[in-house]
Amino acid sequence: MSAPTATGSDVRALAASVTDPSTGSGQARVRALASSVTDPEMPMLTLEDLGVLRDVAVEDDGRVVVTITPTYSGCPAMATMRDDLVHALHDAGHARVEVRVSLHPAWSSDWITERGRQALRDHGLSVPGPAPRHDGPVPLTLLPVRRDLTCPRCGSDAVALTSEFGATACKAMYRCTACAEPFEHVKEI
Amino acid sequence: MSTTAPDEIAPDEAALLAQFEQVLARHDRIEPRDWMPEKYRATLVRQIAQHAHSEIIGMQPEGNWITRAPSLRRKAILLAKVQDEAGHGLYLYSACETLGVSRQELTEKLISGRQKYSSIFNYPTLSYADVGTIGWLVDGAAIANQVPLCRTSYGPYGRSMIRICKEESFHQRQGYELLMTMMRGTDAQRAMVQESVDRFWWPALMMFGPPDDDSPNTAQSMAWGIKRDTNDELRQKFVDMSVPQAERLGVTLPDPDLVWNAERGHHDFGQPDWEEFHAVVKGSGPCNAQRVAHRRRAHEDGAWVRDAATAFAARSSVESVETQEARA
Amino acid sequence: MSDDHESVYDGLLGGDDTQWAFGTSFEDPLAGVDTTVPEGVDAGALAAYCLMLGDDALVHSHRLSQWASNAPDLEEDIALANVALDLLGQARLLLARAAAADPGLVPALPEGSPVPSEDALAFFRDEAAFRNVRLAEQENGDFAATVVRLLLLSTHRLALLQRLAASTDQVLAAIAAKGVKELTYHRDHAARWFLTLAQGTEESRRRLLAGLALVWPLRAELARTHPVERLVAEQGVGVDPATVTDEVDVLLEQVFSVSGVERPGLPATGTVAGGAGREGRHSEAMGRLLAEMQVVARAHPTGLW
Repeated sequence: MSAPTATGSDVRALAASVTDPSTGSGQARVRALASSVTDPEMPMLTLEDLGVLRDVAVEDDGRVVVTITPTYSGCPAMATMRDDLVHALHDAGHARVEVRVSLHPAWSSDWITERGRQALRDHGLSVPGPAPRHDGPVPLTLLPVRRDLTCPRCGSDAVALTSEFGATACKAMYRCTACAEPFEHVKEI
Repeated sequence: MSTTAPDEIAPDEAALLAQFEQVLARHDRIEPRDWMPEKYRATLVRQIAQHAHSEIIGMQPEGNWITRAPSLRRKAILLAKVQDEAGHGLYLYSACETLGVSRQELTEKLISGRQKYSSIFNYPTLSYADVGTIGWLVDGAAIANQVPLCRTSYGPYGRSMIRICKEESFHQRQGYELLMTMMRGTDAQRAMVQESVDRFWWPALMMFGPPDDDSPNTAQSMAWGIKRDTNDELRQKFVDMSVPQAERLGVTLPDPDLVWNAERGHHDFGQPDWEEFHAVVKGSGPCNAQRVAHRRRAHEDGAWVRDAATAFAARSSVESVETQEARA
Repeated sequence: MSDDHESVYDGLLGGDDTQWAFGTSFEDPLAGVDTTVPEGVDAGALAAYCLMLGDDALVHSHRLSQWASNAPDLEEDIALANVALDLLGQARLLLARAAAADPGLVPALPEGSPVPSEDALAFFRDEAAFRNVRLAEQENGDFAATVVRLLLLSTHRLALLQRLAASTDQVLAAIAAKGVKELTYHRDHAARWFLTLAQGTEESRRRLLAGLALVWPLRAELARTHPVERLVAEQGVGVDPATVTDEVDVLLEQVFSVSGVERPGLPATGTVAGGAGREGRHSEAMGRLLAEMQVVARAHPTGLW
């Protein structure tokens, strides 16, 4: 996950340079271009920040093959992510783009990059802690999930869970009892 | 709730008011713990509650098609969208609670018809194309209404609108994409899309509220920075935005007066039937009674579950205190 | 501030329209995944097995989705929709996996129909071709009955998927590994409600026990090994459901004991001519469920959605 990345506004500049064969190897640029595509529901995150983008390769025949991993099995944004990747690469002059789904290993919130976490914080979201790991049968948890969180607005740790399930599958809802701010927490999975 | 009541802590209301107005003049945010005029608070509560109620009632016309969605992909998209709406409702009720009004109180007002929700949801969904049309036109109009609210003066409301607008724009795109896909399908599907657009176009235009000369609350709301654009300004933006999208889609918008005005740089367009609008607002739209009855039934049917949760939580906290005492 | 506002507005409403018209073609949820059936594995049995797992998820998801806008509170509207969505996602992958392993399973559609195989399987199979257990298809009943069913189905499915993550079929293994994370949320959510209702009020306890009595007898079907399940288990791609019953019992016992509820001693619901859901012999509720689910798709057999 250390490939160069581009912000949204760089896309067009990149697009122009990618089509120019004189500007170095296509591989890194294509990678940068794919890395700059944002999540449709949380556009402050790129697909790379989210950890959904697993691989970008330019084949010998010029085909671009992008590999992505779904966050949740039923995530309705997957098709949109795929379309956005193909579209961004088409615009940059790559006529043949293939987006492959990789199901293994399963996506984990641990894959959200440090930059992605900062972007979430900057937008008032609370970032996930380490995802749980299990060997053997998954133990039953009868108490509501307890997380040590701080309010993304005022920093207080006096927060209360509103709902374990939020607007999108990946979020839970909290509120800060100090400054009263309702906020969302990206869940550990 | 714990929010400060301004009447009790206002030794010098004039000074507080001056401070409040300075914050507004700087386009800064008012926060839950800040002093605010009672009428400002009441206006916000009314507006945020109406917005939250709209999300909740809005689950019904679309939820109507979840079990009949014609493909698994569309079923997933629709289910996720309805879930999003519930999430937005919850978020907005939380924003309202920061103003000292509980969700319970607001729900009571909704199911007794004392608080309104967006009138658009008093129209029925009669075909699967309506799911797409609601995404494209209804969510589109909602976004046009809501984007300016991202800058609204009340902090929790403005911040929630930023997040909600991003998610709504995803819904709008998915709705448009459904219509676009159907237009590439069979003749029957294309006819279904056109028929749906014919039904929803005028109600969508009504979503911006009555014409400016007939909108009593606009001036005060704009002065307080709760509202940022007039109804007619927003309606014009929406029409200008929708026309090229309709062309690309290949549907006809059902307005014979719709024409580009090069001089104004905007489209001229006809007026919705404002009598119908007022009738629907007053409660005699095609689905008003049904929508409220549905919400009331769900609420009442769920009372025993909420009671159980409350009783269980009370008992658990007593037990945990007792355990701690036993340990001590 | 006002510049910021305008740019948000433009980003949402103006900008690149072509993007919206883009990607209106369906793509398989398994696009790009290698779906070669492992050597020595009976492709037909693997496909039939995926249908069983997929149909359980699809039909249960359908029932849970009926709670949308009808749940006891908003939190629960969201939670049940969330669970339904996870199951629907699993169903799509499993149906697509079944179709890839044995294309012969997919119902024939009119020449030139663009309906993808996952949808042909979901919307154009008749009732007798569905392989879900009858427990999944029962009408929701009240919230207590829904909670009990979710507890029983998700406890069983979680135990199955944990073992399936070691399937020699890489596709099934990956779908299962993903599902384990989701099912853990589902099961724990159901277990918390089970406890809450059991220990809440007199009425909630009464309703919970009634729901349990209603749902419990159908549970036996989950542990009844079908010949297809035996075969795929022998070949290392599937799991014999009978092998997870002990683990499931231990977990349920934990939930029952903390809730102060006795494990029901009720006999299993009878079979029909020796068969049940896995053989395509369902309860009366199934026909009505499918009539609703399939009505629009079947009205447009060459439709593009």
